[in-house]
Amino acid sequence: MAKSKKIVTKTLFHVLIILFGLVMIYPVLWMIFGSFKNNREILNNSMQLLPNIWRPENYSTGWKGFGEITFSTFFANSFFVTAIATLACTISSALIAYALARVKFKGRKFWFVCMISTLMLPSQVVMIPQYIIFQKLNLVNTYVPLILPFFFGQAFFIYMMMQFIAGLPKELDEAAIIDGCSKYTIFTRIIFPLISPALITTVIIQFYWKWDDFLGPLIYLSRPEKYTASLAIKMFADASSTTDYGAMFAMSTLSLVPVFLIFLFFNRYLMEGISTTGMKD
Amino acid sequence: MKRLVAGILAATMLASTAACSSGNTNTESTEPASSTAAATSDVTLRIAWWGSQTRHDATLKVLDMYTKKTGVKFQTEYMPFDGYFTKLNTLVASNDMYDIFQLGGNFPTYIDQIEPLDSYVADGTIDTTDTNKGYLESTQYNGKQYGISLGINSYGIAYDPEMFQKAGLKEPSTNWTWEEFEKDCMTIHEKLNIYGSSKIEDFFAGGTMAAPQFNLKETFFKADGTGLNYTDDSPIASYLAMKQRLVKAGAYPDPGAISEIKDIEGDYLATGDAAMTWVASNQFVALSKAAGRPLKLATVPRIKADGPSGISLQSSQMFAISKSCKEKTEAAKFLNYFVNDIQANEVLLGERGIPIMSKVRDDVKSKISDNDKQVYNFIDTVGEIADSPVILDPKAQPEIKDLYMRLENQVVSGKLSPEDAAKQLRSGAEDIFKKGASASSSN
Amino acid sequence: MAKNTGGNSLKLKKFLNRDNTVGYVFALPFIIGFLGFTIVPMIVSLYFSFTNYNMISAPQWVGLKNYVRMFTEDNRFVNSVGVTLKYVFISVPLKLIFALIVAFLLTRKSKAVSVYRSVYYIPSLIGGSVAVSLVWKQLFSTKGLINNILHSLGMARISWFGDEHAAVWPLILMAIWQFGSSMIIFAAGLTQIPASYYEAARIDGAGIVKQFFFITLPSLSPVILFNLVMQMITGFMSFTQTYVISNGTGDPNDATNFFALYIYNQAFKYFDMGYASAMAWILLILISLITFIIFKTSSTWVFYENE
Repeated sequence: MAKSKKIVTKTLFHVLIILFGLVMIYPVLWMIFGSFKNNREILNNSMQLLPNIWRPENYSTGWKGFGEITFSTFFANSFFVTAIATLACTISSALIAYALARVKFKGRKFWFVCMISTLMLPSQVVMIPQYIIFQKLNLVNTYVPLILPFFFGQAFFIYMMMQFIAGLPKELDEAAIIDGCSKYTIFTRIIFPLISPALITTVIIQFYWKWDDFLGPLIYLSRPEKYTASLAIKMFADASSTTDYGAMFAMSTLSLVPVFLIFLFFNRYLMEGISTTGMKD
Repeated sequence: MKRLVAGILAATMLASTAACSSGNTNTESTEPASSTAAATSDVTLRIAWWGSQTRHDATLKVLDMYTKKTGVKFQTEYMPFDGYFTKLNTLVASNDMYDIFQLGGNFPTYIDQIEPLDSYVADGTIDTTDTNKGYLESTQYNGKQYGISLGINSYGIAYDPEMFQKAGLKEPSTNWTWEEFEKDCMTIHEKLNIYGSSKIEDFFAGGTMAAPQFNLKETFFKADGTGLNYTDDSPIASYLAMKQRLVKAGAYPDPGAISEIKDIEGDYLATGDAAMTWVASNQFVALSKAAGRPLKLATVPRIKADGPSGISLQSSQMFAISKSCKEKTEAAKFLNYFVNDIQANEVLLGERGIPIMSKVRDDVKSKISDNDKQVYNFIDTVGEIADSPVILDPKAQPEIKDLYMRLENQVVSGKLSPEDAAKQLRSGAEDIFKKGASASSSN
Repeated sequence: MAKNTGGNSLKLKKFLNRDNTVGYVFALPFIIGFLGFTIVPMIVSLYFSFTNYNMISAPQWVGLKNYVRMFTEDNRFVNSVGVTLKYVFISVPLKLIFALIVAFLLTRKSKAVSVYRSVYYIPSLIGGSVAVSLVWKQLFSTKGLINNILHSLGMARISWFGDEHAAVWPLILMAIWQFGSSMIIFAAGLTQIPASYYEAARIDGAGIVKQFFFITLPSLSPVILFNLVMQMITGFMSFTQTYVISNGTGDPNDATNFFALYIYNQAFKYFDMGYASAMAWILLILISLITFIIFKTSSTWVFYENE
């Protein structure tokens, strides 16, 4: 009796999750199937999910890109920028978070407030002064303005890691000091490994944010051969004339693949780290 | 044969340009007989434009042709419309301008950045013998030539003749009125159960165009961009009242349905949900392609059938040379090539608008389909009835346009009377001008 | 310094291990970045806020005029604060509740759960793309799916993009729909909760609901605080969604004229960077205030391991 009840709840759970998941993912499916349609089907028969005629050629026309530059260049550029920025951001944010969360130094509160406040000014008003700085440094039209800021940590992730570090028992540090660890080795041997879920989360989210960033490349890159995929995809759309939606969706779909793979790859580790909660199989 | 003629023409044109620039001594010190490939091979021009993929591909090809011909290299930047102006403003603010850049009717906003071309026109570096005064004036401001138009266009109403026929209506004439437009919309809606018309650019139709239509001596904005230049609010009010009636009857999309239109391809005329739409003539080809059925172009309705048309021919886009450009003569030479060279324009095919140079125009016209030729005939028609001077957009235009749209939406939803809206438009616009005037007075 | 040896090296070691040294060594990347690339633009924007600056000619000092104008003359500003607050206060709690529940439900180690989690994360990966704006317009259009459902339930169709009372809802739904990153952060937080807590609770006979409220919630409270503060801030900065849905206008009748969009339009469309900067600083003050309140109250509901 109890067992059959359990099976019923379990099935119900899965059915609900799947149904709801389909609702969630519908717009994405719409885009993916849209990448096989032509403009008329996309705009006029928008209620229909599957294409009438499959048009894989959208992928080859989209891939051609603009002028002589194909999407292989754009994707390669995106990979370069995103990989470096993500790695730099994860490590630097962890260092900073350790200082702000665990080390009682003078000015800690001040720097914390500074850090949070960097998130509170809309990018639109700091964009121009920032541009002028990079221009004075002769770094416009290089990837430096897109990458360098990530070596200094990102407030969002610093604060997130701080919250994870705060969740670690202080006794760990004390025990380590007794074992002869310095404050530096505490970070490398204890804190850094223990906040790995937060590090993984940072990688997953930062990778996507950087991959998807449009304004940065738009402002700082001035040669199409340096454009990233996110910027190149936007170039299909021009409200004042025609947009090749099929090709744009095709490239958007391709552009989903790397971020999704990154998620799949790292999510495994997140799942492994999970302790059994109340939900038991 | 034709190609041969075109080739010879292009060659002589280039030759004459070169001759002019070296022969003329009293203007700017041009480089000594410099237009050979060897002498200019280390010149790189930074050039930017916005547009669609078609435009990017065609323009890049032409730049490539020019590089092969003269050795001048290009650093290109091309973007969609929104991004283009965000970036342009950033570059302006940080003094990091392109050498050559594309601008539309809002070029007076960037006037401080633009090098006037008058001397290059005078010494023949930019050959304008093949165009007329009106077309040149479309890119002039306060008497100076700030750019060379890359194409002429005008607004019109695109319509589906078959739907008109089905609704038992006769097709619009060149002097049809807004009253007839309204009646046609209502009839189409009743007979075919679709919208009479899709999105009209109301600010133009019921604002900037309405002023000269009502009184040819007036325009909406002052020519120098410092304020309003119309005295009577009634044409604006009556246009708004018409919109209110049309939306109420369901013969025109409500503001929600309007905002569901994403771009030309989603326009209700293209999707078959409306029989008419407002269109800039250079977008007509894309629109008919999206619709996939024959469309025709009519002129914008007038207020009175025997009254003024209020229409002017405008430059759709132009190339301007920035003040900070180090190779201004080379840039001017390129501009000359871009608008005068037959082969180049056979690649560009008038995608930015009808070419202003008559030889180029005739050649391009002979290369395109009959449907696309409609646009050329339309521009000829508009040229015949055009009676209003070109008034360029002042810097305040975007904010006033937004104000107009908000007021119109309030009228349409019945929260505001058309008369009050017209009054508020005037006072609001004047406030915006005042604010702008105090900003620029310090220069 | 490193050249010194003997007694000095001991001193050095001591110096290096002092809290102040350690703190500044680890915080150095942030301090360099902040001083080098952030503080100057921030101060410059503060300066712009006291000027009339159109980006094309040089800024001109006007004192507090921009700030006065904001509160006395500009109804659109007041309205834009209102719609942004409404958007933030509705979307953020819903998004977090949603993210938390899904993260909690999807924490079992099984293949299926792993797949589900990916499915729920995917919407966050297409962000502000053109495809999303098209789908959203299609779903909420007059003849779209949502209206068809309403219609079949006997309710009136709603003009989602035309009715100023309805217009913010598609945007709120979009924000909630993209709950993926909050979910991932919650999921990461869940991995930190020691399994022994749950075992103890099960021994005490606590069911899943009790476990959620007495173990999961308190243990996760630092992460909840983080997500709350960050989602609040990003909510106030929300730009892309309304930009793609209303084509940058904030229509209808400014009902989706979010703060960040208004700032952008003032700066880049109306060429009033001075005024835009002033608005940005008011936004900063507003967000700081709310953040401060959240931090102050957090001591009553956030539990840190080491306290």
